[in-house]
Amino acid sequence: MAVPFKQIVVYIDGSESSMTAIMYAIKLAKEHDSSLTAVYVINTRALSELVKAGIFVAVERDEYLRDLAQDADRYLNHARRLAEEKGLEIETVKAEGTVHVVVKELLKSKEADLLVLGGITDIRSRREELASETDRMMRTAPCPVLVVRDDDDIWFEFEA
Amino acid sequence: MNVLDVLDKDLVKVPLLSSDKRGVIVELVDTLVKARGYSPQQGEQILDAVLARESLGSTGIGNGIAIPHAKSDVIEQVTMVLGISRLPIDFDSPDGEASRIFFLVLAPSKQASAHVELLASIARSCTSKIFRRLLEQARDSEEVVHLFME
Repeated sequence: MAVPFKQIVVYIDGSESSMTAIMYAIKLAKEHDSSLTAVYVINTRALSELVKAGIFVAVERDEYLRDLAQDADRYLNHARRLAEEKGLEIETVKAEGTVHVVVKELLKSKEADLLVLGGITDIRSRREELASETDRMMRTAPCPVLVVRDDDDIWFEFEA
Repeated sequence: MNVLDVLDKDLVKVPLLSSDKRGVIVELVDTLVKARGYSPQQGEQILDAVLARESLGSTGIGNGIAIPHAKSDVIEQVTMVLGISRLPIDFDSPDGEASRIFFLVLAPSKQASAHVELLASIARSCTSKIFRRLLEQARDSEEVVHLFME
């Protein structure tokens, strides 16, 4: 029998919903005997926008860049620990750039057949500039996307 | 994360009553302290963090907007307080224009990603001159929230 998903990529950004997504992705990868990659993208585009807009001074940009790099390590390590708990090998990728662009490139290079995301919020505005990075990833991904709702049941089931 | 994820009617103050830069920051922090039930000591800690950041360089960004911000572990989640002033306040903006729209953004130190995304979202959402004009003319907090939700 063919495996439905051979190469799964899960996007994490440190939000609670992305932590739920990683749990779901680990269970899914285990179930389907798939390869799993967790990606964290340091949003250097947003940092550049903040400096350009005059919101960040240079010293602040450097400080936040370090904070974001530490966040990336922390959350990717967390993903690795969760996968190890379930006896699953996981590849972790720390990247920099415009989030949805970097994720799209990664999906292509990995020939991923599924992107797992958390954190899709309700549509509350028609204004494009208020779309989130997760919305943009969903729209631009070259493969199917699975949106995981932040749900306590997933945490309970994972920890069971 | 974007503006809509943190926009809360209870954290919008229209109009602000202060007439100078420090007063506006104090008023925005005070709005947060009252709405979220922080203690006076916690309020002081938040204020100190915002003023310390402000001492590095003004967060007045031009076009009548200022975005004072800071990291503070008093705060549990990334938080935004929005204030509109009827009178233009000198915020040392690079274009020399006084400010009427103020976003106070606070985040715990371990939520750098959400903090950065929110600040960028605020900058993007205020690029429209018409939108800024509508915000400046908003009568109350409900109207401000409505403008973002349109």
